[in-house]
Amino acid sequence: MNVSHENAQESLSTIQDVTVRTHRAIASAYASDLLILWGALWTIEFTTAHFYPAYAFHIFMVMSIVGCIGTAVIYWVFYSKALIREAGSQSAIWRIALFWILLYAYAALWHFLLAPFNGLQGNAFISTVAMFAFVVIGLWFGCRFMIILGLAVTIAVLIGFYLLTAYYCLWMALMGGGAILGTGLYTRLRWR
Amino acid sequence: MTQLDNIIHQPVRLKIMSSLVSLDQNEQVNFTYLRKLLKLTDGNLGAHLIKLEEAGYIKSKKTFIARKPRTFIRATGKGRDAFEGHVAALKEIIHSEK
Repeated sequence: MNVSHENAQESLSTIQDVTVRTHRAIASAYASDLLILWGALWTIEFTTAHFYPAYAFHIFMVMSIVGCIGTAVIYWVFYSKALIREAGSQSAIWRIALFWILLYAYAALWHFLLAPFNGLQGNAFISTVAMFAFVVIGLWFGCRFMIILGLAVTIAVLIGFYLLTAYYCLWMALMGGGAILGTGLYTRLRWR
Repeated sequence: MTQLDNIIHQPVRLKIMSSLVSLDQNEQVNFTYLRKLLKLTDGNLGAHLIKLEEAGYIKSKKTFIARKPRTFIRATGKGRDAFEGHVAALKEIIHSEK
């Protein structure tokens, strides 16, 4: 079989291109809908909390419940579509769910042990815990954009906490919720 | 010197194998997902999958999920080895002509 230098180069480029597209499509299939959901919830939650600070905790609780229900629905739809299947993928989903539950249980414990927090501290704490989870999941699955997103939003939390205290919630609606939502939309539209 | 693989070298089959090999060994993909990803028609993808399956490079499995039939495809160990060999041969061609 005779293959020219150009043809060989072209074949290797095709392999590289398909490999990248496959990895991106998988990452998008797993993560984009969840990022869109949680990004939208963060944006609504922080914007509402800015204008109605007295109800901030109630808004946080309602949005968290909506988010958990939405996450379960998305996973159910994802499983029924079954784009990619892995031996033991069901156990992987349960392990991720358990990881989030345990992380938030520990976060609640630390919150209790380290209290009293004011509202701003409490919010920065829980937001950075969520971003820590993004980074861990990114490392776990070799998903670079999750690591970058987690670190970027963590930096946004710190900037808002130290430099923009009066506008913290609006800042987080834009740079936290907006960044998560934007990443979700980008990966869904461009990578799937 | 490693040999080019005639079956894999065909452009559509090269794409199919690139996608399957880039997954973990225990991962398998849905036929529909692969068709969309590679922008192929049902018939075209099906025909090339048969060729690859006859060579023992892939394995397909039919199953039901939520009462709907699904076909899952994965690269076999033999397919992964053949693909690796093919890639090595392509690299040799490029390096030998530099």
